[in-house]
Amino acid sequence: MPWDFVAFCLLAAICVVTAGGMVVSTNPVHAGIFLGLCFIHVAGIFVMLGAEFLAVIQVIVYTGAILVLLLFVLMLVDPDDLPEFHTGRPIQRAVAALLGVVLLLELGVAILGRTIEGAKGTATPENIAAVGGNTQALGRALYTEYLLPFEVVSLVLTVGVIGAIVLAMPERLGEKITRRRGTISLGHARGVDLALDSGAPVTGVPGEAPIPENEHELATGLSSRRVLIMVTDPDEFTTVGSRR
Amino acid sequence: MTDVGTEHFLILSAVLFIIGMMGVLIRRNIIIIFMCVELMLTAANISLVAFGWENNSMSGQAFAVFTIAVAAAEAAVGLAIILALSRRVLTVDIDEFRTLRD
Repeated sequence: MPWDFVAFCLLAAICVVTAGGMVVSTNPVHAGIFLGLCFIHVAGIFVMLGAEFLAVIQVIVYTGAILVLLLFVLMLVDPDDLPEFHTGRPIQRAVAALLGVVLLLELGVAILGRTIEGAKGTATPENIAAVGGNTQALGRALYTEYLLPFEVVSLVLTVGVIGAIVLAMPERLGEKITRRRGTISLGHARGVDLALDSGAPVTGVPGEAPIPENEHELATGLSSRRVLIMVTDPDEFTTVGSRR
Repeated sequence: MTDVGTEHFLILSAVLFIIGMMGVLIRRNIIIIFMCVELMLTAANISLVAFGWENNSMSGQAFAVFTIAVAAAEAAVGLAIILALSRRVLTVDIDEFRTLRD
């Protein structure tokens, strides 16, 4: 039995098993780890296909960057927000299984009954070895034949990064405050700072909180300017220094 | 048939794609659905590289490089969207995301 067939069977079996484990695992972190294992074995498949550069890129970009980004977002989202959604929904599962089996049959027939043959290119193993290896050959293809798509991809990446930053930015300060509910905060009750703006002279830097006149007011909290209030909702107070 | 041919790789690609598709259809955690989409992209890459290998062409690998780059951009934007959505709705259950505007 040829060894490349054994290697293919091993890699393919691990790929399929880990992909299935990702779909059925109840813990999202376990799903991420399964996906990483699957990606690493897909890199092995790429090596079998003579695409060593792509195998390295697969490990670095998918396993190193995308998967870590996924796990990072998984940690950012509150653990309470990750309930398991496995209960119920038998119709959904039945439809998914039906569609999967039908698509597998269609693709199997299409793959096994394939009669059309593509035109042979010039990148035979001998030619690739003459150029210096897979990476050199791929670089030549990218920078000559696919130069314009390559530049467009760099533009797409730039736009993607800018879009990600814009999307992930918090929209308002109020949304940040929503997260910390029920905290004791030293702030102005709504309307107090308006009176301050119109009437009392502001001491200190404009836009900052006025400093109490003496330490007694600060210690007791009885000053009319700064009061200690308990808030449960961001609408009940305005933050220090903000002018609405 | 114990010789590894293109069909083996194509069938592996199809199986991985279908597993990813079923994951998208079954699961309700939006982050898991995102992982399944990445799996489907990888399965498509296997097909591209396998056809390039069969035909002695570098085009398949060049396309796979582009796919990986676009997948990286897609991951960044998609995860940012997930963050913004989960900040707004306070959950990652895809059934809770029903509206496109406030």
